[in-house]
Amino acid sequence: MTCEQCQDVATVHLTRSINGERREVHLCASCARKSGLSPREKTPDLGLDAVVQSLIVSHVGELVGELANLTCPECQLKYMEFRARGRLGCPHDYRIFARGLGPLLNRAHGATRHVGKVARIRPDAAERLRLRAQLREAVLHEDYELAARLRDQLRLKGADA
Amino acid sequence: MNLDELTRSSGEWLRGTGPESDIVMCSRIRLARNLAEFPFTNRASRTEKSEIESSIRSAMQRANLELVYFDVNALPPLDRQFLVERQLISRELAAGEGPRGVAVGPLENIAIMVNEEDHLRIQVMLSGMALHDVWERINRLDDQLEEHLAYAFSTQLGYLTACPTNVGTGIRVGVMLHLPALAQTKQMEKVFRALQKINLAVRGLYGEGTQAFGDFYQISNQQTLGKSEPELIRILTDVVPQVIQYERTARQALMNEKRQHLHDQVSRAYGVLKTAHTISSEETMLLLSSVRLGINLGLIDDLEIATINELFIQTQPAYLQKIQGSELGVEERNVARASYLRSRLSNGRHVEPD
Repeated sequence: MTCEQCQDVATVHLTRSINGERREVHLCASCARKSGLSPREKTPDLGLDAVVQSLIVSHVGELVGELANLTCPECQLKYMEFRARGRLGCPHDYRIFARGLGPLLNRAHGATRHVGKVARIRPDAAERLRLRAQLREAVLHEDYELAARLRDQLRLKGADA
Repeated sequence: MNLDELTRSSGEWLRGTGPESDIVMCSRIRLARNLAEFPFTNRASRTEKSEIESSIRSAMQRANLELVYFDVNALPPLDRQFLVERQLISRELAAGEGPRGVAVGPLENIAIMVNEEDHLRIQVMLSGMALHDVWERINRLDDQLEEHLAYAFSTQLGYLTACPTNVGTGIRVGVMLHLPALAQTKQMEKVFRALQKINLAVRGLYGEGTQAFGDFYQISNQQTLGKSEPELIRILTDVVPQVIQYERTARQALMNEKRQHLHDQVSRAYGVLKTAHTISSEETMLLLSSVRLGINLGLIDDLEIATINELFIQTQPAYLQKIQGSELGVEERNVARASYLRSRLSNGRHVEPD
C-alpha cells in the first residue's frame, strides 16, 4: 500500500471516524509524523550507558577494573568487598588499596596526608601482622605444626617489645 | 563498681557544671585506635578478638589506670542497653558479637570501648564547654595506653582505622547542645545547613540522624585527615559560641515576645511531669526539654539543672527496668517512668534517688 500523500510505502494505517463516517488513512512514516500521528522514529538515546559509567566512576573510582581484582595478602579482603561494605580488613589494606583510597580520602577529608599527633614507631609491628596472617592460614589448613612454630615466633617477638 | 552500682550514681557530664552549661550539656572527644598486629575487628577471628581484648586489658592494668571493665559479651541485653543509654557504649558495640567490652573511668568521664568498629574507641566527656580540658585528658590517656600497645600508624596517613572516614587523627571532637529555642522557632534547618557547609555534622543525643531528642544536638567534626587535633578542636571552639549566641538570641526573643505563652508551656510541662501516672518516653523528653529551658530562663526556680539532666537518661527504658529489677513491657514502663518522675520531682525539691 502506498502513502496517500507522497506515494511512498505506507506504514501507518488507521481508521478515523468523522461525523459517523468511517475512513481509512494510510500514510508513510514521514507524512504521518508531519500530521502529528506517529511516534518518533525510534526511542531516543538517553545516554544511559554513559550515565551508568559515570556513576560507577564517581562511586568506585577510575581504576575499577584493575582495583577490583586486588586482594590484601594479609587479611584476604578484596577491594570490591571494601567498596561494598565500607570497612577495611587490616592496617595493611591502606598500602595495598592505596590507589583506590587516595581519591576517596581526598573526597572525604579534602586531604591525603596526616597532620597531627604521631604514634611511636614500632618497627616489628608489620612483621607481627604478617606472622599472624600466616598463623590464620596455618590454622585454616589444619597445619598445627606450622601454627605452633608461628605462635612461638610471635611470643619471642612479643618478649623483645 | 558493678553495673548495679552505676544505677545509683550518674555521670559527671550530667552535673550541669562548667562553662556555658545552660546550653552545652557536655564536651566529648573520642579517638579511634587499632593494634598494628591484628586485622580490624570486622575481619578478626574470635580468638584474635579475644587476644586483642586481653592485650588492651593488660595495657590498662600496666598503665595503672583507674578503670572498671565490663565484659559486654557476657552481659544480658538489658545491661547492654543500659550502657548505651548512659553514653558509655555505642549501639554497634551493644549489638556486636564476640569478645568485646568497655572500660569505664571514675565519674564516667572515661569510656574505652574494646573491639567496636576499631579495636579501641577512647572517649572522654566533661560537663559544659571544656574541649581543651577534654583534649588534655584524652591525649594523656592515649599516651599511657600507647606505652604498652603498638598502634597501627603510617607517617602518611596517621592512625589507621577500619573506616577511611576516621583515618588520620582518628579524632571526633563533639559538643552536645540543648537548643530548644532554635528548635521551637524552627531555625534548626538553617543551623544544619550552615554547619554542613563547614563540614561539621549534627546528630541527636544517641547519634541518630537529625531527629531531635529532647532538643539535644551533637555537633562534631567529620574530617579527620589533614588537620591536626588542635586545629579540629579550634573549628569547634570557633563555631559553637556562635550557635550558643544564636540560641540565646532566640530565647530572648521568646521571652520578650511570648513570655506568657512560654511560661505557661514550661509550667504545664513541669506540672505533667510531677503528676502524670503513665507517660511515654517521647512525651517525657519533650516536657523535660521545656522544663530545662524554664530553669535556665528563671521561670522555674525550685529545681536543679542536674536533676533534669539526669532525668533525660534515667527515664530511658533500660534504666527504669534496672531500678525495678525486672523486665517491663511498654505500658509497665510508662507507669514506672511516671512514678519515677513523681518521686524525683515531688514538692519541687531535688530528691536523690534511693
